[in-house]
Amino acid sequence: MAVAAASRPAAWPARIIRSRRTARFLFPLVVLAVWQLAFMFLETAVLPSPGKVLSFMWDEVRMDTLSRHTLYQSFAISLGRLIVGFLIALAIGLVIGLLMGLVRPIEYFLYDVVVVVLAVPSLVWALITGLLFGLGNNAPIVTVIGVGIPFVILNVLEGVKNSPKELFDMSRAFRVPRRRVVRHVLLPSLMPFFFAALRYGFANGWKGLVLAEVFASTNGAGWTIRYWYDAHRAQGVLGYALFFVLFALILERGVFERVSRYVFRWRPQAQLEVVEEAVPEAKLKVATVEAERMAADRGTG
Amino acid sequence: MADIRVEHLHKEFGTGVEKVVALDDVNLDVSGHVFVSVVGPSGCGKSTLLNVLTGIENPTRGKVEITHEGRDAFPGYVFQSPRLLPWRSVMDNLIFVHKDRSKETRERCRRYLGMVGLEDRGSKYPGELSGGMQQRVGIARAFSTEPDVLFMDEPFSHLDAITARSLRRELHDMWKATKKTVLFVTHDVGEAVELSNRIVVFAKGGTIKDDITVDLPFPRDPADQDVAIAKADVLRKFEELDLIAT
Repeated sequence: MAVAAASRPAAWPARIIRSRRTARFLFPLVVLAVWQLAFMFLETAVLPSPGKVLSFMWDEVRMDTLSRHTLYQSFAISLGRLIVGFLIALAIGLVIGLLMGLVRPIEYFLYDVVVVVLAVPSLVWALITGLLFGLGNNAPIVTVIGVGIPFVILNVLEGVKNSPKELFDMSRAFRVPRRRVVRHVLLPSLMPFFFAALRYGFANGWKGLVLAEVFASTNGAGWTIRYWYDAHRAQGVLGYALFFVLFALILERGVFERVSRYVFRWRPQAQLEVVEEAVPEAKLKVATVEAERMAADRGTG
Repeated sequence: MADIRVEHLHKEFGTGVEKVVALDDVNLDVSGHVFVSVVGPSGCGKSTLLNVLTGIENPTRGKVEITHEGRDAFPGYVFQSPRLLPWRSVMDNLIFVHKDRSKETRERCRRYLGMVGLEDRGSKYPGELSGGMQQRVGIARAFSTEPDVLFMDEPFSHLDAITARSLRRELHDMWKATKKTVLFVTHDVGEAVELSNRIVVFAKGGTIKDDITVDLPFPRDPADQDVAIAKADVLRKFEELDLIAT
């Protein structure tokens, strides 16, 4: 890192403009500006101003709402359903995935079904479970199970197939006891696949859950956005949409990324920052070399 | 030190038309502080022999006895690739193959890491080390269990020539200092001549074709005339046995 800094003493404004963080931070500001301009020039009654949406969101955050439940209650209800549904999906998916990974005929028998289930849109799950179970907890939870299970199965299957045979043989050659092999070889080797299942299953389960709540529930975050929609409060719909995004971000950044960074700390990626800094420079170099080569080609040809 | 006795060993994979004979009536006696290389072309059953000897695979027929003073000998193993647990530190990788994590175990692991020049890398993860260093960790792991016999399966074939050469030297020093019985599989005749007292020649089909004693003083420099001549002799035998053309 010190080497990188010393070899390229860029002036600080250049570094700030080029930095990835600035660009990332700039994006929402640009969106807000475009939105504000659109609002001012289009003079539409449908599109609420950013200020109106933000003040709605602020009211919600302070628990000052017309809806039946506060923001926190709504998201707590939804999160509870998501967790229950996903835990069930995890339990069932783990068993089916392990069976498919260990017994060939079971894999052949079930593989196509799993792929088909994976292709079922969450909307279909939401509507069918709504028809089956009516209003309440069941439809959203079963939707999460239906959407989440294929992700769990496919990832567990992949994990079993990628089990590190070399390391098992090594353990056997050194006569390492079975319990220690399970704990230190098998389980860690399944972790990447477990995490993939967790991330995708959770994210997709959440989308399905919100839909199911719109159709087949009387509370939760999905129901609340529907409530504002029915009340013709565009700021409520947009405000809740932003809450969804924030919720997903908090889950991803605050929980999954942290946990996975801890669990996979052994992966060689210590110098991420340096790599990040070095990339634009390297690309530039490649581009220059390429341009020179092309110029030379033109000269000779 | 250990005594290895292999009698009429057969190993077959698959059945019927797909049957492959990997080992065909292999007989071998190795004992004492010796370094024995098993040399032969790819796919001749060298690695299968090691897998059977270490119990990773069961023999189809025949007898394998590896003893040390009348009891079952404890083996150590160095593989072609390092085979380290990427999610455990270097030190934990060594401790993993030991019976406990007592103070003596740690001390011993640290000592063997020192012998391969990695005493200060114990807390690193394998992914943070170069390929040569990882293989050194694998060697330290095998020696740290203080095995009666050491099995090595082409441990240097994935390394660049310079790293392989310095590791061969380290291995020789460790073998001399610890007085192990070593069975070393390789396809590199030069390597075999440089390291071993005895070279067992394997041919396709899993049979032993020759058993050569290399009687030269250690340490052997591959650039040395006697060593070069010995290597040429072994290669000539290969040609006589018709191992090279096929």
